[in-house]
Amino acid sequence: MRALSLVVAAVGLAALMARAEAPAPPSAVPECGPCLLEPPPLPPPARADDPDLPPLPAQSPRNANYTIDARLDPERHTIQGSLVLEWRNTTGQAQSAFPFHLYWNAFRNTLSSSARGEGRRAARPRGGGDTRGFGFVEVTSVRQLADTGEADLLPSLHYVQPDDGNPDDRTVAEIATPAAVAAGATTRFKIDWSGQMPYGDVGRSGWVHDYHFVAQWFPKVGVWWKGAWNAHQFHPFTEFFSDYGVYDVHLTVPQGFVVGATGTMQEARDNADGTRTFRFHQDDVHDFAWVTSRRLVERLGRFDEPGYPPVDIRLLVQPEHVHLAERYLESTRICLRSYGTWAAPYPYGHVTVVDPAWTSASGGMEYPTLFTGGTALFAPRAMQSPELVTIHECGHQFWYGLVGNNEFEEAWLDEGFNSYHESKSAQLALGPQAWGRRYFGPMGTSRGTRPVWPVVAPEVWMRRGDSELDAVRRAGAIDVMARRAWEYRNAEAYGVNSYSKPALSLQTLEGLVGEQTMTRILRTYARRYRFGHPTSEDFVAVVNEVTGQDWRWYFDQTWFSADLCDYAVTAKNERARALAGYTDGALGRPTLVSPPPRKGRGEEGPWDSEVVVQRLGGVRLPVEIRVEFADGRVVRETWDGQYRWTRLRYHGPAKVSAAFVDPYGKIALDVDPGNNSWADNAPVARRAASKWAMRWMFWLQNLLEMHTLLG
Amino acid sequence: MILDAVRTGLRRARDLWGLVLFLLVVNLLTAAVLAVPMARQLEDDLEDRGAARHMLYGFDYPWWAAWADAHAGTTFAPDILGSGFAFKNLDLLLKGNLPAGLFVTGDPDQPDERPRAAIDGTILALGVLYLVVQVFLAGGILGALRAPQAGWTVRGLLHGSGFYFGRLLRLALLVLVVDAVVFRVYWPLGRWADAEARAAVSERAAIAWLLGRHLLLLLVLLAVSMVSAYARILIVLEERSSAVLALVSAAALCLGRFFKTFAHVLAMAALAVALLALWSLLDRHWETTGYKTQIVTFVLLEALVFGRIFLRVALLGGQVALARRLGGGSLEAS
Repeated sequence: MRALSLVVAAVGLAALMARAEAPAPPSAVPECGPCLLEPPPLPPPARADDPDLPPLPAQSPRNANYTIDARLDPERHTIQGSLVLEWRNTTGQAQSAFPFHLYWNAFRNTLSSSARGEGRRAARPRGGGDTRGFGFVEVTSVRQLADTGEADLLPSLHYVQPDDGNPDDRTVAEIATPAAVAAGATTRFKIDWSGQMPYGDVGRSGWVHDYHFVAQWFPKVGVWWKGAWNAHQFHPFTEFFSDYGVYDVHLTVPQGFVVGATGTMQEARDNADGTRTFRFHQDDVHDFAWVTSRRLVERLGRFDEPGYPPVDIRLLVQPEHVHLAERYLESTRICLRSYGTWAAPYPYGHVTVVDPAWTSASGGMEYPTLFTGGTALFAPRAMQSPELVTIHECGHQFWYGLVGNNEFEEAWLDEGFNSYHESKSAQLALGPQAWGRRYFGPMGTSRGTRPVWPVVAPEVWMRRGDSELDAVRRAGAIDVMARRAWEYRNAEAYGVNSYSKPALSLQTLEGLVGEQTMTRILRTYARRYRFGHPTSEDFVAVVNEVTGQDWRWYFDQTWFSADLCDYAVTAKNERARALAGYTDGALGRPTLVSPPPRKGRGEEGPWDSEVVVQRLGGVRLPVEIRVEFADGRVVRETWDGQYRWTRLRYHGPAKVSAAFVDPYGKIALDVDPGNNSWADNAPVARRAASKWAMRWMFWLQNLLEMHTLLG
Repeated sequence: MILDAVRTGLRRARDLWGLVLFLLVVNLLTAAVLAVPMARQLEDDLEDRGAARHMLYGFDYPWWAAWADAHAGTTFAPDILGSGFAFKNLDLLLKGNLPAGLFVTGDPDQPDERPRAAIDGTILALGVLYLVVQVFLAGGILGALRAPQAGWTVRGLLHGSGFYFGRLLRLALLVLVVDAVVFRVYWPLGRWADAEARAAVSERAAIAWLLGRHLLLLLVLLAVSMVSAYARILIVLEERSSAVLALVSAAALCLGRFFKTFAHVLAMAALAVALLALWSLLDRHWETTGYKTQIVTFVLLEALVFGRIFLRVALLGGQVALARRLGGGSLEAS
């Protein structure tokens, strides 16, 4: 025991001694002003009448207005619905054929285009004869309503497959009217349908116990866009596209069920048959989703800050997650505040946040004025769950909700823009995210479940864009970013090209044009296309307009390319060459000069130094270079990045001690930031290597000891 | 009786601290076989990079992420930091990765994929080697614990190890068969528990199912390990020549006094958890940078491994004492 005490005392003494040697750690970049990894404080939101920005539209075109009456049977998980669609012809030409989305038919059987695909949302057969995952929507009546009478359109209904020709896919149906609807005219369709909800651990819509998340649930008319109908089939990882309108919806559920929905509740009344009918109303949205369950607990919050319209926040949370309610609410406020100033303030006055039920796949999804989060019972704050998902899905209220791009064809315009703002917003409001891992989960990649026990790695932080960068490095070269969502090679390519790469390309653009200009670009875009259906070209045009420069070259290399971006820098120092050999002597005759004696290993110069900057990827961007010398001198250079490499030579009294390409982290798309700096620091590398190898060895020692439990 | 066994075990381990140190050196040298190349690899990659400085004063996530992508399957990840190493290893154990990936099962959602171990084959091979070395040394350790007087010699250790190695190796193989049966029974049970977790209404119930099945497996593995330890003790103390009979006798002994024998194991496990908690606390407040702090960190790390091996020897020492007490006259000290 005495020996042990001596060891402990020695360790303590050494610890005290060693404390003194640790200098302050350096910052991540040599100087930071402003550093893109740490965004500047939020500017105040732009005024509604800001003369430098486009005016905000008072209302949407309202050309697809729905009045819906639906009844849920939560025992049989069925919906009986009836709707009246008032459709105004804004196409500029007469129309007699109308495509309607019937999304739940993606779950009709194993032959639908969705079921044939991959990805976590793909409808797929379940083992053990379990048929709960199947669902459908069946149109039972379609009538065109007119003052002169009604026309039965059901006989004209047929299924179309514009994307892949799969005859087994029934996710888009087309109906024909006996007489064309003239340009500018309005017509009304009355559609009755019944729907069988699929079990909810795969699709966005579905039931789990008494939790019913009802989305993409009614026959919804396509969008006339770019001179043609745009109504794509349901694919495993595509999302949606629809026109703006007014929704007035009656929902009937058993009494005792809590209901959350798009819009605000206008009334609720009990019926004699033990049900309760809720009426929700919302103007100027392009979809309607709702949720109901007995278990949902309501928590209310409010966002009310100068410069923003006030917003009532209604959180419907699972009972076991009530302790996380304030984090949900605060994350929603963070989103409304930051997106509201970086784009344009949220106008609706209310938003509903839904915490999904255990194993429900409805989490992490957006609908107008309603979105779903997702978290776990054990949720360390440092891992930022539910914060990140809440900011992201709330962010879709801006990018998808208010600016309604075509998610089928240009998913990056909402997912990418949103991921860009999400990571910026989270970095600003919450700081870096801790790296963590969850343990003790189910075997395999079980549907809807996850490991339960979180362990946070101390002092390992992921900053803005880090996780997106990992995805781009791994899968960024699979596909050109600008592709239709169902045409990506796989789910990973969809993810990286819809979320990560566009987010990083916007972050890089921010680095190139500056934070203030970027904010002006996004404000202009968000205002001009509020309640609109913009395209990538529209965004590029806004960038060019605001900056007064042609940025097409940038988007050609990033959005319309599969090339990766990677810059690297190396350097070497040599003592300046001294004269030796023959030189001009007296009378012009060659005279031999002997080599000078070799100098020692000291730092005295002069030195010839060489810095080589390489472009390893295909993306060519102008870059800044910073070269530091041992005597404290700093040289800043720029390079257009056009050729594969460039060499910079220096002659002087001190050698190059460090060199950085893109020293301020402007090029967020650089897939290997680790090779963006060179340092004359072999001893430091050795110490760092021994430090981490020692840690790894410690893990291995314990793993070896773990073997003694067996055998 | 249990506390007595704990105390006796700790006392015996204290008396044999040199032996524990010897076992630590064996452990350290085995791990160094792979740690030295790892240090080289890291140094090569960090040399001339600015990330070296960041890694010295903290953890450079972007550098590590790119490095990990370039070294597929690497086990150098942030999950080994803090108390993470313990969870990672426990997870590997409970997923059947140890030893040699023998007990892994396939992903029920990917039935066409062949079950594969979650870590590199070289590490698993080193683990098997370490297991064999520990089986070899077990006879010598028990010989030292059996002796009434404190102290040990390398010669005595090696003599005892060699003398019992054949029997203990047969026993180890038998125990691996028992472990295989445990995992074989466990996987369907685990899938059933997972199905129950998936079907649970609330996450709370699901967590109970998921943590419950992991805990159950851990307890069963501890129980098998306990029976194995008593079988070793019987082989050494009673000079049994049959590994099978020793295992049966040990099982009978443990089942007959299950509460006492298992409570003793759990008490020692609790001490190990306390040690881990203490380590986590220290680790959180200790910064490793230069060589001096690295030396201190190294000493601290090795102190924890020493503590762990110390507790293993103390457990065995306590089990020897318990076996003697529970076995009556047949287990007299020789």
